[in-house]
Amino acid sequence: MNLRRLIIRRSTEIFFIFFVILTILFLLFRLAPGDPVSRMVDPSMTTEEAEHLINQLGLDRPLWSQYLFYVKNFFTGTLGNSFHYGEPVAQIIGQRLPNTILLFTTSIIISCIIGIYFGKIAAWNKGKKLDVWMTIGALVLHTLFLPWAALIIIWIFGYKLGWFPLNGMLTPEIWINPETGIFARFLDVLHHMFLPLFTLCIIHFGSYLLIMRSGMLETLQEDYILTAKAKGLSAIEIRNRHAAPNASLPVVTSVGLSLAFSVNGGALTEIVFSWPGLGRELIFAVSNNDYPLALGSFLFISIVVLVANLIIDILYAYLDPRIKY
Amino acid sequence: MIIKMQISSLKVRKKGIVILLTLIFSSFLFSCTEKKDGTILKIGIAEEPRTLNIWLASDANSRKVLSLMYQNLYVRDPVSLQLIPWLAESMPLFEPETVSYIVKLRPAKWSDGSDLTSDDVLFTINLIKKFKIPRLYSKWKFVKKVEALDSQTIRFYLQKPVAIFVTKSLSVPIVSRSEWADVAKKSLTHEKPLTALLNHKIKFPLGCGPFVLKQRREGAYLYFEKNRFFFGENKKIAGHILGPFVEKIIFKIYSSADVAILALKKGSLDYHWSDIPPGHINGLKESKHIQVFVSKKSALYFMGFNVRHSPFSDTALRKAVAVLIDKEFIISRILQGYASDMTSIVPKGNKFWHNPRLPAYGHGLTKQQRIKKAYTILTENGYTWKSPPINEQGETTMPSLIRLPNGEPMQDFTILTPPADYDPHRAASGTIIQEWLKDLGLPAHSRPMSFGALLSQVKQRREFDTFILGYGKLSLDPDYLRSFFHSKNNKKRGWNMSGYHNPDFDVAADASVAAVNIGERQKLIRRMQEMVMTDVPYIPLYNPMRIEAINMNNVSGWIKMVGGIGNLWSICMVKPKQI
Repeated sequence: MNLRRLIIRRSTEIFFIFFVILTILFLLFRLAPGDPVSRMVDPSMTTEEAEHLINQLGLDRPLWSQYLFYVKNFFTGTLGNSFHYGEPVAQIIGQRLPNTILLFTTSIIISCIIGIYFGKIAAWNKGKKLDVWMTIGALVLHTLFLPWAALIIIWIFGYKLGWFPLNGMLTPEIWINPETGIFARFLDVLHHMFLPLFTLCIIHFGSYLLIMRSGMLETLQEDYILTAKAKGLSAIEIRNRHAAPNASLPVVTSVGLSLAFSVNGGALTEIVFSWPGLGRELIFAVSNNDYPLALGSFLFISIVVLVANLIIDILYAYLDPRIKY
Repeated sequence: MIIKMQISSLKVRKKGIVILLTLIFSSFLFSCTEKKDGTILKIGIAEEPRTLNIWLASDANSRKVLSLMYQNLYVRDPVSLQLIPWLAESMPLFEPETVSYIVKLRPAKWSDGSDLTSDDVLFTINLIKKFKIPRLYSKWKFVKKVEALDSQTIRFYLQKPVAIFVTKSLSVPIVSRSEWADVAKKSLTHEKPLTALLNHKIKFPLGCGPFVLKQRREGAYLYFEKNRFFFGENKKIAGHILGPFVEKIIFKIYSSADVAILALKKGSLDYHWSDIPPGHINGLKESKHIQVFVSKKSALYFMGFNVRHSPFSDTALRKAVAVLIDKEFIISRILQGYASDMTSIVPKGNKFWHNPRLPAYGHGLTKQQRIKKAYTILTENGYTWKSPPINEQGETTMPSLIRLPNGEPMQDFTILTPPADYDPHRAASGTIIQEWLKDLGLPAHSRPMSFGALLSQVKQRREFDTFILGYGKLSLDPDYLRSFFHSKNNKKRGWNMSGYHNPDFDVAADASVAAVNIGERQKLIRRMQEMVMTDVPYIPLYNPMRIEAINMNNVSGWIKMVGGIGNLWSICMVKPKQI
């Protein structure tokens, strides 16, 4: 099957999968107990007012009618308005998404580079002390409880040493000053980004290290590695040029999916660091029955993950010519 | 050639690393440029305000920031808690012949410099009525006509005398016609007018409060500057000469209470406008520049019964449960002492309305005495046990399952509570109450469930046995008694969640609404509390304290009142330290 046919087939599959996801998500949110109005625990809200609000939000219509309305709106490019923000869902996602991508995509790239680097060193030194320490270290860091680790890091670097801001993405005092230049603002964001980035990297690089190590160990058993050794190539050359590129395929899959999932951010990281990303909004939307915002955000994540899967498939075919679809 | 290329790529890499390190180092230096400035008040809030549209704002943080801009005709005095004129010049004048109130406005301006007039008040009320704005419409629907007598005087005609008109209706925020007239007109052409109005985005609200919003970065901060046209500046109201004395306010978002506390200690925040968990108090007190405030709240946390059907339709059983619950234990152990005991639905702090002469079930009794007293109540009402909780020697023992007066064994029942991650106090209270009830052979099971599901179960489906819920911010006017227990509210989505039905209560509740004479209304309200506490559809459990902390280095002059130091008075009175 050639690449074009592969893309057409997979795109059709993705469309149907997406439709199933949309339907399931819609039903999940609507059938979950509670509604946005009953959450407004205010004795001043009379039954009459609550019913009027429900009518105005369109929540008194039959479920199938709400579903058809949503599907129609979705395919005409409207995700509805958030019940709590009163703003279009697409606009809210658009505001939060760049912050999430900035933090999480950067962290994945840095963790991946560090993980691959140390993973191949660990595999190359299999059974030695360095390998043992690296593997144990990676496992320990990977299993750290993120909010706890984040608070410890904030306490040390933000509070005790005072090197970095405690949380947030900006220093308001700097941003409200109209004389502050773009470079200063850029530095301010960089400064705020350091601690969440550091936390995410130390927690995530371990998994890349372990994947890379295991891939390398498998590759190092291959005949062509033996041939390379017989040809008298240097150890570094064999490791970096012959073994590492072939061992990195599983890492590509993992990074691809992590990048795709990075759009939903990490709610816990965003909460502890008060990072204004999509993860925090997702938690709010789900816990407050803000159906349009929750549904819109999840659908957006689904699209990104499905498209990322397609890209990974294509990338696999490119990276490993042996793979046939 | 290859070596040269490798060397040059090495140089490029080194350059990259040097640039990166320089950037990070510069950003370190940059952090040192943050100056201490007493004229900026830095306030932390737990979540981002969801909206600046006053009609949509239902979350606490939106209301907090909006309270700096939109103002009411009357507000509560911080000490006496009595209503005092704010945008109004004097207290409303009641004319019984026409069943109308006359309110005169004080000279005030909107933040754009235009005058606040009676036309703005008229417009606000008409908008609330026309769009049936949730939470506000019920306060105005009995007002049949509003007219402007002149640019500063308004007359409100009521269908009949209504007691809450002054305390609740006249406490709604007033908006400017110039800000909302076009929005309202456009919204009315929409298929769903209310939705269109609520979905209108307000970027910079036009208010007449002490501060004006100047900049907002979604998810990061809100920046306010002093309103040069604020009517209260240098005026003496409620014994205070008002400011504002700080030039600017920055609201920063601190989603984690732990990080907010570190920020207070570090000096990045002057005040965190949110509850601080009691566990942090000792740590905060160790810092010399931190002051902790513990204030009373107007709140109610209670256990409710479904009195619509057996077994909790029986008052005797509810009374026995009330006796078994050791409120002092809950307050001292679960809330670490930061709460006050409740004997009525109206908190004790609300002295004028609270009825001090009510039965305090089980107050001051030991565990054994509680069991004995509850046992006596139940046996007198036909409840039996194969093996009773009190043996022949009069000692408490582990009982068998209780049998109802009809001889049937009592079925297992649940105490619904919010989950521990939402409210650990209510979840823990549910667990401990379950154990106390088992001491009498009552097969109780505490069941934490998501807050939305719990409300749905209790308010909509009304399929439950008992539940523990709370209201964190009760109005100081006790009209909520009518909402909670009037039988007309015993319906789907109604506030009478227990299904309480007492014709005498309904008569008293209806009379309390019409009682314009405050003394007469006080008697009725106290009588209503007595009826509720005799029938016990709810067992009031505790009223938690509000714990807050401030950083004393920059500013001073916080005003403590019911609900804490985060209030309009503090915003108007806080002064930079150097003044």
